[in-house]
Amino acid sequence: MTSAPSTAASFLTTEASRALGEALGDGTAVAGLRASGAAALDGLAMPSPALDRPWKYVDPAALDLDGFTPPGTDSAAWDEALPAGALLLRDGATAGRGPSIDGLTLADFAETPDGALDRLGEAVAFDGDQLTALHYAFLRGGVLIQTKANAEIAEPVRLTREYSEAGTLATPHTLIVAGVNSRLTVIEEYRSGDEPLAVLPAVELLIGPGAVVNYTSLHRWGARTRVFAEQRAVTERDADVRSLSLVTGGRLVKSHITSSLEGRGSSSEMYGIAVGAGQEHVDFYTLQDHVAEDTRSDLLFKSALGEQSRAVYYGLTKVGLGARRADANQENRNLLLSRAAKADSDPVLEILTNDVTRVSHGATAGPVDEEELFYIQSRGLTREGAVGLLVRGFLGEPLDRSALREGVREELSGLVEAKLTALGSGT
Amino acid sequence: MTEAPLLEIDALRANVAGNEILTGLNLTIRPGEVHAIMGPNGSGKSTLANTLMGNPRYEVTGGEVRFLGDALDGMAPDERARRGLFLAFQYPVAVPGVTVVNFLRQAVNAVRGEEVPVREFRQELFQKMELLKVDRDFARRYLNDGFSGGEKKRAEMLQLAMLQPRMAVLDETDSGLDIDALRTVADGVNALMHENMGLLLITHYQRLLNYIKPQFVHVLIDGRIVRSGGPELAEELEESGYDTIEAAASTA
Repeated sequence: MTSAPSTAASFLTTEASRALGEALGDGTAVAGLRASGAAALDGLAMPSPALDRPWKYVDPAALDLDGFTPPGTDSAAWDEALPAGALLLRDGATAGRGPSIDGLTLADFAETPDGALDRLGEAVAFDGDQLTALHYAFLRGGVLIQTKANAEIAEPVRLTREYSEAGTLATPHTLIVAGVNSRLTVIEEYRSGDEPLAVLPAVELLIGPGAVVNYTSLHRWGARTRVFAEQRAVTERDADVRSLSLVTGGRLVKSHITSSLEGRGSSSEMYGIAVGAGQEHVDFYTLQDHVAEDTRSDLLFKSALGEQSRAVYYGLTKVGLGARRADANQENRNLLLSRAAKADSDPVLEILTNDVTRVSHGATAGPVDEEELFYIQSRGLTREGAVGLLVRGFLGEPLDRSALREGVREELSGLVEAKLTALGSGT
Repeated sequence: MTEAPLLEIDALRANVAGNEILTGLNLTIRPGEVHAIMGPNGSGKSTLANTLMGNPRYEVTGGEVRFLGDALDGMAPDERARRGLFLAFQYPVAVPGVTVVNFLRQAVNAVRGEEVPVREFRQELFQKMELLKVDRDFARRYLNDGFSGGEKKRAEMLQLAMLQPRMAVLDETDSGLDIDALRTVADGVNALMHENMGLLLITHYQRLLNYIKPQFVHVLIDGRIVRSGGPELAEELEESGYDTIEAAASTA
């Protein structure tokens, strides 16, 4: 490890980690990982923008967690009734829950029986770097979403996490375990206020044989929130995972999104949408990791950037020696809505077998195309209206492909719309 | 007394990327008239189409175009469209993410200057789709995205049908169409044409004119009209090509 700046600053110590675990009354699985994370804090470095490629465009100052305090341990006031399959957490504490659904476990880690969390940490390891160690050392607000074999959960599970405690480190953890041949849709929504906040979310998706999981994260963070998210899906045989990451707010939202296709015949679709304004920095690192034979992956990430915002996309498609007949596609498109906006795009292929069905990638960044504008204007729409239509179409494509049910699609497109309207891009 | 002209092009000169392409073009079109402008590659056909619609890449350097009596110079493309001018593009642009139905609805509302009720709009759309023998699934596809050449041209005609312009310019609408598709498109245009509307067909080949009959045919060489006549001029061109006329024009 390198001599990166030591964080684990003042308040985020091994002792503080232990105290948090005691106050929360950790079960076995969480206690073990918390201790491992805490023990690893000093030995692991912070990611280095100078040395670690996925971190290249992150301001090192953004990684300085000095002064941030561990998550609080207060319980939350119970919220009004929520619909079935909904769970609300405020500052890491459960604050509301809808009626339960057959075949589905939706629970705070603290409520789960012994053994239910055996697979915690399987997809996102505690010792990736100092940030993942911090995540586990200060884990607060873990949620288990688990389906029984063959369960088909018709309604989307809605997990909402709100943060309002200024100056804290937030560490949401979502563990999704899909049983054999089950069907599950999860929509996780993150929100925070305008106070400074650092968030280290981890999302683990363990997709059993033949299971189909659709996972959407809505990043609606406040203007002074910085986020370093780890999301990793691991598929078993013939499993399908589809994910969408929608970012409409946050000072810095950096997401690492991985699908490890470990089961033969499994597939992954990853979609990303970001609308940037002000000084916002949206940063995606994606990994399509083809491990097994006959695996398929597709990816489309799109950003529309206004004002001085910037988007970074660094995506890796890996086709391992054993991943014969892999089919992988990776596409990143960026639309610059102002001269000061900026996009960096770097799709990379790493192919170890020569027996692939298809491996392709593409990237673009630029302003709205003048010929497209002329075409649309020639049909009577003003220039502003034409820009608006093009931007909405541009961002609508990954939304369409996410195949979310109609009501949810409308809701998400409403979030995009609100952000675009605030940007003043078209009508 | 003849009716007031729809379109008057008066000694029009236009540049693209600093090169003068139109070198003094004159043309007047009145309601109910169908004109054809024929010319070889590079004669300025597409420049004329783009200049009429106000493509910002094309610069008018002299002369004037008046539409319904008003000078078009400096008018944005959308303003021209709202006044009733329509261009069917030779190469329509793909707009991924925007469905045909959504696009048409916005265009219709913009051109008519009012929100057309959804029910009414759909009825009209389906009726026009039937006229142009377009499958209903078409409406839900992204505009021109992955369309075949023929589908793109039909999508252009569907827009023409929905926007009901006073003056339509068809830029090489016959290119990329097989004979059946050409016949369908031509039947559609003929059905949409009426006595208050003007039509300008811009084409390299005479083929299209077998199906949409112009009263006036003009030959465009080096950015200006060198000969005008009736339908027989198109047949003459079909027989002898552009070389004879080009030679005559350069010695004239």
